[in-house]
Amino acid sequence: MKAFAYVNATNEREVVAALKTDGIALPLAGGQDLLARMKDYIDSPDRIVNVKNALDTTVTSTPEGGLKIGAAVKIIDLYENQQVARMYPALNAAAIEIGTPQIRHQATVGGNINQRPRCWYYRNEEFVCYKKGGSRCFAVDGENQYHAIFGNDGPSHIVHPSSLAVPFAAYGARFRVLGPKGDREIAASDFFTMPTLASVLKENVLEDEEILTHVILPAPGNVRSGHYEVRYKASHDWPLAFTTVVLTMNGNRIGSARVVLGAVAPVPWRSKPAEAALAGKPLNEDTAMLAAEAAVSEAKPMSGNAYKVQMAKTAVKRAIMRAAGLKTV
Amino acid sequence: MTWGWRVAKYTWPEKPTLLSTRVLRLDGPDKVAGRARYTYDINRPGMIYGRIVRSPYPHARVTSIDLAAAQTAPGVKAVVAYRNPGDEVHYQGDPVAAVAADTEERARDAARLVRVRWEPLPHVSIEAQAMDAAAPKWSTTQENTRPGVRQETGNLETGFNDAAHVVEQTYSTHVITHVCLETHGTVCEWDGDKLTAWVSTQGVHQCAQGFAQALGIPQANVRVITQYMGGGFGSKFAPDSQGIICAKLAKLANAPVKLMLDRKEEHLDTGNRPSAFAHIRAGVSAEGKLTAFDGRSWGTGGAGAGSNFPLPYLYQFPNRKRVHTDVYINAGQQRAMRAPGHPQGCFLTEILMDELADRVKIDPVEFRIRNAPPIAPNAQWIKYFQEGARRFGWEKRHPTGDPTPGPIKTGMGVSAHLWGGAGRGSTAHVDINPDGSVVVKCGTQDLGTGTRTIVTIVAAETLGVPMNAITTEIGDTQYPFSGGSGGSTTAASVSPAIRVTCTDALNQLFAKVAPTVGVQPDDLVAEGGRIRGATDASKSVAWKDACKLLGTEPISVDGKWQDGLSGAGTSGVQFSEVTVDIETGIVRIKRILAMQDCGLIVDRLTAESQVYGGVIAAINFALYEDRLLDRVTGQMVNPNMEFYLLAGMSDVPQIDVVLNDMPERGVIGIGEPPTVSTASAIANAVRNATGATIRSLPLHPHKVLAAIEQQRAGGTN
Amino acid sequence: MDHLTSSKLTSGVHCLNIRHKGMYVTSGPYPEELNFYDPYDATAYWCVETQRGFGPDGKPVRPDMCSGDRECCRH
Ligand SMILES: Cc1cc2nc3c(=O)[nH]c(=O)nc-3n(C[C@H](O)[C@H](O)[C@H](O)COP(=O)(O)OP(=O)(O)OC[C@H]3O[C@@H](n4cnc5c(N)ncnc54)[C@H](O)[C@@H]3O)c2cc1C
Ligand code: SF4
Repeated sequence: MKAFAYVNATNEREVVAALKTDGIALPLAGGQDLLARMKDYIDSPDRIVNVKNALDTTVTSTPEGGLKIGAAVKIIDLYENQQVARMYPALNAAAIEIGTPQIRHQATVGGNINQRPRCWYYRNEEFVCYKKGGSRCFAVDGENQYHAIFGNDGPSHIVHPSSLAVPFAAYGARFRVLGPKGDREIAASDFFTMPTLASVLKENVLEDEEILTHVILPAPGNVRSGHYEVRYKASHDWPLAFTTVVLTMNGNRIGSARVVLGAVAPVPWRSKPAEAALAGKPLNEDTAMLAAEAAVSEAKPMSGNAYKVQMAKTAVKRAIMRAAGLKTV
Repeated sequence: MTWGWRVAKYTWPEKPTLLSTRVLRLDGPDKVAGRARYTYDINRPGMIYGRIVRSPYPHARVTSIDLAAAQTAPGVKAVVAYRNPGDEVHYQGDPVAAVAADTEERARDAARLVRVRWEPLPHVSIEAQAMDAAAPKWSTTQENTRPGVRQETGNLETGFNDAAHVVEQTYSTHVITHVCLETHGTVCEWDGDKLTAWVSTQGVHQCAQGFAQALGIPQANVRVITQYMGGGFGSKFAPDSQGIICAKLAKLANAPVKLMLDRKEEHLDTGNRPSAFAHIRAGVSAEGKLTAFDGRSWGTGGAGAGSNFPLPYLYQFPNRKRVHTDVYINAGQQRAMRAPGHPQGCFLTEILMDELADRVKIDPVEFRIRNAPPIAPNAQWIKYFQEGARRFGWEKRHPTGDPTPGPIKTGMGVSAHLWGGAGRGSTAHVDINPDGSVVVKCGTQDLGTGTRTIVTIVAAETLGVPMNAITTEIGDTQYPFSGGSGGSTTAASVSPAIRVTCTDALNQLFAKVAPTVGVQPDDLVAEGGRIRGATDASKSVAWKDACKLLGTEPISVDGKWQDGLSGAGTSGVQFSEVTVDIETGIVRIKRILAMQDCGLIVDRLTAESQVYGGVIAAINFALYEDRLLDRVTGQMVNPNMEFYLLAGMSDVPQIDVVLNDMPERGVIGIGEPPTVSTASAIANAVRNATGATIRSLPLHPHKVLAAIEQQRAGGTN
Repeated sequence: MDHLTSSKLTSGVHCLNIRHKGMYVTSGPYPEELNFYDPYDATAYWCVETQRGFGPDGKPVRPDMCSGDRECCRH
């Protein structure tokens, strides 16, 4: 690991100030991702800025009836928060499935959202792919069983690694971002960016020296939500496909729906066809099946990951059934 | 030769007090509390850290190696080139140079400053590709394949004529690595021309010989120490290149060097289980008797190493033919891995067995009973099939394909295995001191299997004293010679040696105390901390008082393994129950039942632990582990523990172990057999649940989904 | 130790430097093994000089290679 300078910031302004350097500076939260990248020489920053003592570690109510979650809130604390569990059950469900108990006790909400891809070509030094400034995506002709089945126009074919990003997008969360020019708020669904040749070195809209400080969730309203993850191992593993659905109810029928899929695309993948299939329908298993079919109708798997289409379909169906309070298996 | 009960001079006790009971592992508390010091934990004064520079390419030629930048990097104490310009490297991870620096991080940084220029050569990383005549060669001087000799028994034509049904399919298993929790590595310290090496090894004496021969120094100058060890599974019998490099760096830097490999190096360069493929045509008679087996097999042990395995396995095909071809690819070489060859041969045969059973519509347990070798002490399969089926609730098994509605299907499977496990050759030393203390020394090593505990059990049992009265010294070449711990031979080599040595020592003590007790030495027994008359228990003396009679001279005895206390040949059968989610392809194992013997059980707890460990390792083989080489670049994409999947606690099912104690057979090893048949029992259960046959490992959801899809489409299943 | 399932190295034919696990493990014979499968060689070999599966000449270590007039071969 390259030697680096360490700045222990005490407030959000200090973080932003400390990120300004001639070399490379990166914020350090729980370190579950960043330290691994540094040990593997994927990133070799000159300076790292600890944000754990600088950013908000609390979950508070907003005047609008929603919740404001500090970027330095640990995943375990997010999971154990009673308000989160009651108001946003799908977020609570996503939090407990992340990584391992050790990871959940160290990792933060801000770090989870901003973690870098888990693609094995990106994570192994030998492969100089687009994400590392190269001119090739190794997954295209290589081992792509864990790669994207949606949004496969390239140049990169990663799946976005964050489990929290998906329920945040589904619940219509907004992210507060702070930079040298002040702060701004961005809808979660606009925060993550599809790869282009110009933007492939990062996965979201944050500029250098900008940080995420809060996630702001709107009042839940009359919604039913559900979350389902298809996982191979029970722990210490990544989901193969997962879904959060948030259904705004209109009596017994679904008024409008948000269906967001995870582990299937370079961004949390909002499925308009599934949402359309749900609107106006009664909430039952048949509707769930139809929406699941619709959700994968536009899938474009790669050479080795067609099986994920079936998994994504199952995740959508079962997330809707959970929202309906039905047994999933 | 007899393996009989009380035929030899040395025998096991008829009514043991410790042997075959459940004794807690002696070093358990030290391990749990973190006091146990593994090679990784050894820190010597002035110690520095070694790091190896390795080839990133699967096949290349070194054009130049420039050490200058590394030599002047911060903290660097030594740099060596391990290869010369012009040398060919044959796999990713092939060592080319090494550095030593004052911290581990600096050693890693400096290693990256060694400038190696390469001429990449065409590589081959897939078995099927390597077998193509037009494929690139794994080596500029070698062929990609080596055909084996054809093995033939009986008459194939008659065999197939007698068959009412024939199954013809291709079966396969994949490459997995050993994934020892403690990686390979060494701490080397020189004192003049004497070397002390702390090594994570399965053989301290064997390693000492390796160091001496590779370094060209007398073996008397080498001491190897392994007090605690985090697993080897067949991959740790020699110093290896990293051990020799570590010793050379230590000499060069004139300082002790620690060189432990990291997880990536571990996957790339410390061995693996070869892949196995077989195209098989097999016949079964209308009565459910196997008639014929015609198999063409191949597999890869990596760069230039073999890949053979037993096939067909265990069941009796009277007419059979088989030819095996070794295939070489640009990947790290295989090493012995827990029952070398058996898990492969077992899987390939056992999946076929279920397919044949279905053709003749006979229950798989019954079908196996009809075709298993006859019952013998070393061949208990038929008994285990029957008893295991009863215990497991096999009668609740439905025919192939769970008819229950809904996505979750349940199924059961069964498989059988065998292993040799005979030991010999260990030597030991025991001192009985005048103060009553006992020191037992044996140059064996405890891989985490419980060797330290069973040595102590045998000594305490023999001397009739509590275990805490015994000081057990192992894991050091300063103690008497013992074999490397492999082939499930340790318990069967070491236990007799300890029994013999302690019996001899006790007889000397008997001779000393006989006059005082007033009983002939031959009529004395040691029991419960006393020495007493065998028939007249009122004549006795406490152990401590007996030892006082030694005056100033301890009893000091050397002894060695003798025939009659150990045996050969174990058998086992395993049952599994799984659920398969047919909408995701995900398999979960509900329970495993392992029926197993190992002759005389020394410690029931550690023997059961061996079975648990073996079963869990095999669950990993069945569902999770997979060494994945990128099909384009030939580089490994998952050299870690993240995408190289391993079961966690919550993936491990209920495992029931039924050990069959056979004291009359003497001690037989148990390390390897329980890991052989689990994967096939699981795959057969998946087949029973879904009706879809998966003929290759691992049972990753994508294969399960594809097999179900194919079966729905009416494909061959 | 000679073992049904491990390789046969012949003194005088094979190099003195060739090694395999069976040479370092004190295992006893199991003659009945032959009733349950035919002989096979699953053995991994290494060279005592180099402590790896390639000899000093960079070529693989195997009984069929480590004999005769291979330059590094010791008899
Ligand atoms: C085996 C395994 C399984 C896993 N499974 C899952 C899973 O199922 N789901 C899942 O979501 N994750 C999973 N993870 C990943 C883990 O959850 C993330 O690494 C962790 O959440 C990152 O959070 P952190 O606080 O430790 O971030 P850090 O490592 O500290 O930071 C991560 C990145 O974000 C940047 N950063 C941190 N804070 C901020 C901020 N406030 N503003 C801007 N940038 C910031 C850092 O510079 C860094 O680049 C898994 C990891 C492993 C090893
Ligand atoms: S590689 Fe050479 S030195 Fe080594 S065993 Fe083979 S022939 Fe002998």
